[in-house]
Amino acid sequence: MDIDDILHEVDPVADTVPRETRDLQALTRAWVAERSAPELLKWPADGLFERINDRIKSQIEKVEEMTGDMDPKTNFALIVIQTELERYRYLVRSYLRARIAKIDKHTLHYLSTDALRSRLSEVELAYATRHQALLHNHYLSSFLASFPPQMQNLNDVSGSHNMIDSPDLDSAVFVRLLRDTMVESRGVDVDGALEGKDGSILILRWSDAKPLVEKGHAELV
Amino acid sequence: MALPLPPGLTHAEVAFLSEMEMVTVVPRQRLESIKLLSGATPPLRPPARADLPLWLALLLKKQRRANIVPPPWLHPASLHDLIHRETKSDPEKFSAPPPPRPARAHASAPGRSRPLYDGESVSFSPPFLHGCTAAAPAGYLPYHWLEVAETLLAHAADDMPAPAGEIRGLVRDLVEVRAAKMRAGIGRAGVLGDEDGGFLDLTGVGAIELAENRGFVLGVVDGVRRIGASAEASRREEEEAGGDGEEEDEDDEDMGI
Repeated sequence: MDIDDILHEVDPVADTVPRETRDLQALTRAWVAERSAPELLKWPADGLFERINDRIKSQIEKVEEMTGDMDPKTNFALIVIQTELERYRYLVRSYLRARIAKIDKHTLHYLSTDALRSRLSEVELAYATRHQALLHNHYLSSFLASFPPQMQNLNDVSGSHNMIDSPDLDSAVFVRLLRDTMVESRGVDVDGALEGKDGSILILRWSDAKPLVEKGHAELV
Repeated sequence: MALPLPPGLTHAEVAFLSEMEMVTVVPRQRLESIKLLSGATPPLRPPARADLPLWLALLLKKQRRANIVPPPWLHPASLHDLIHRETKSDPEKFSAPPPPRPARAHASAPGRSRPLYDGESVSFSPPFLHGCTAAAPAGYLPYHWLEVAETLLAHAADDMPAPAGEIRGLVRDLVEVRAAKMRAGIGRAGVLGDEDGGFLDLTGVGAIELAENRGFVLGVVDGVRRIGASAEASRREEEEAGGDGEEEDEDDEDMGI
């Protein structure tokens, strides 16, 4: 029970948007953001995915129950429910796959510090660790073992070059402002600042847009 | 397993998103409320109008269970108005997006209107803004305007307020005017000419227009940044040191991280 449920009880006229719709908005936003951002974003912390998974599970059970019923009316409802279920599952799947693609690309980067590790969910962390271990073992057995020992590392940061490849945080992204806010940006010739209006769409560097997105003042599009 | 797509939504993904837009339907048959994952649908009682997501409205339309009410901005008069605004009154910018947060009056509590969506926890954005329902304002293009217009013209041509060919022609005109603006905007906004202040304002642009130009625009912006990277780094150093930067590091690919 959250504050909206309480408000709803006190004031039944209040037209609060149901939790399901808010969760769908949150999931959609997370998916679009993950598809557009150059780096891996934080795993949603407020139990969004637990809620969504529970709902999908109970919906699947409902479909299984309804399939036995041959009444044409429930039949149509069943088609609608299954269509929606597929759409929902596509969102979840695409979101997770977009994350895996980023983890695969820069595994060592996301495993390198605790702050970066905390962006991964438990399952993703297990996947990344195991994936990297397998890869390292494979390299070791195929060619790495014949190198001198001091050159066998895959994550050397001591020399002039960092061996850990990391995403380009300055790449440009499209953002939409969700409220009136000050936008500061760094450019080649001058650093800009503007008073952004709710609903504006801007192109910014991800490093400038990130604080706004994390505060919820903007979203990626 | 991992998604083999480059960053940024593809056209198919944008189309998927646009199908979540709410549209208004006039049901022809009764249909009880269905409990969906995104919330229960309103019970359909002909001839009372109801708002449904586009994918569901299309399903009902195909089975001839409902008619779709086209959004007011898709009427020829509104489109003419928009084309006029885009070409004559403000040829530099995209026409403004719909005014944010429409207010809704309460039937049961007259005089007490409140924003359609309140609560600080989640701020809603398209496709959850009801920009394509019959209650949407005319003369403003919502974020998913082109996708919704094309879908409605393809699947609900008989529900349109004017012959589908006429509307399609107007939509085409609008697309072309705006595409030219998009290309001109990149040149004018400083990326290729004047000073680069680090941002570009594209307010009013549509989702599919963004998807179409994403590769080009972001490529240009990122390319300009890479070319100017050393100039930018030396400027920054000068600003920090109060103006006595002389020898700069050429390799500043990862500055600012």
